[in-house]
Amino acid sequence: MANISGKYCIVGMASTVVCVHARKRSTADPTPGHPIRRGDEHWEEPWGHFAAAGGHAFAASRHMYEFGTKSEDLAQIAISTRKHASLNKNATMRKPITLEDHQLSRMIVAPLRLLDCSLESDGGGAVLVTSAERARDFPKKPVTILGMGQHHPHFSLLDAPTLTTLGGKKSSETAYKMAGLSPRDMNFAELYDCFTITSMITLEDYGFCRKGEGKDFVKNGRITIGGQLPLNTHGGLLSQAHLEGQLHITEAVKQLRGNEVEPERQVANAKVGIVSGHGGSLAMHATLILGAL
Amino acid sequence: MSKDERGRATRRGQPYLDEPEAKPFWANLREHKLTQQRCSSCKKMFGFPPQALCPNCLASDYEWVPLSGKGKIYSHITYHRAWHPSYHDKIPYNVSLVDLEEGGRLVSNVVDCSPVDVKIGMAVEVIYEDLPEYTLPKFRPVK
Repeated sequence: MANISGKYCIVGMASTVVCVHARKRSTADPTPGHPIRRGDEHWEEPWGHFAAAGGHAFAASRHMYEFGTKSEDLAQIAISTRKHASLNKNATMRKPITLEDHQLSRMIVAPLRLLDCSLESDGGGAVLVTSAERARDFPKKPVTILGMGQHHPHFSLLDAPTLTTLGGKKSSETAYKMAGLSPRDMNFAELYDCFTITSMITLEDYGFCRKGEGKDFVKNGRITIGGQLPLNTHGGLLSQAHLEGQLHITEAVKQLRGNEVEPERQVANAKVGIVSGHGGSLAMHATLILGAL
Repeated sequence: MSKDERGRATRRGQPYLDEPEAKPFWANLREHKLTQQRCSSCKKMFGFPPQALCPNCLASDYEWVPLSGKGKIYSHITYHRAWHPSYHDKIPYNVSLVDLEEGGRLVSNVVDCSPVDVKIGMAVEVIYEDLPEYTLPKFRPVK
């Protein structure tokens, strides 16, 4: 949403927009009948398919079939993300986890385990979008929007052309083109991680590795602070808090400003970062490329 | 029972039997016929969920045609947690995405088979589960 609101500034419909997102899940009714519905649940629920975990488990199951991805590979994302959360004073889950912790965590919707799933959170965040000219007068250093994109390839699981390539492919291509940059120019990535599989598919769709090679890309510290592409340096939805994409955007802004996060999780020489948003039945996707001024 | 903005019953976990585009789908299932919309203009199948206009050419004339009931598993998962009270005694249970022979995909369950034996690409055929208010299409492995 921040992505779209930002666009209003760029096309001149508004000069300054504050993009706010807050969530309170501690009192939300998690039982059947709560009013937030996408509109296609009646083609899923009669067969016992109720949850976001299920839709993403379908993607994980298919990714494992097509590319040989294993639960242990998805664990690498959970472990690295938790490490970043352990360095973030404003994260919910700060105790580091191991591969064994992941593999022993209970199945929720197989093949996804508890530690493949994001948190239910109370919280909020906001970013202010305005012209570069006006931002220069602000007391805090601004960051600039270099590129953005969005793509929504289907509505329902029933009409998804594939579940192993999602809207992120075309969305990121649009954003890279606008920015005149490519995946290798990115110093870090804050990618929507409602489930570990979501980030793995997005890493592939964004061109950080080829399709199906996400399982190798996430190994050997490559996605951890100090590695080639630090991923979800705040702890993400998996370990910091689930406020949809809001905290991925605020984290990218802080990383690019410098001196705003704990020094242990500051990406060195952070000049450009990429952010993703994702939603619906794995149906919606938005990309932002942000740069330090 | 509450209603949504289109007047559809919103009892969670149930199909909308009176949804205009889908009403024949549920009525045909009651007679143990799995059917799909076919465009009267371009002759292409609509796929699922049912809709008012042809997704290929936007024509509004269509007919409901019977399907073979055969398909293949596109992806499958196993629920180990019950999100709805009526599933507490059913976990762990399978949910699959079934790609039908004529095109079109359904969320359904593979029955007559342990969840761990369901495989992607497995050939399945429809069976009909008659409930008091409606009939659900489910699938079993082709022997």
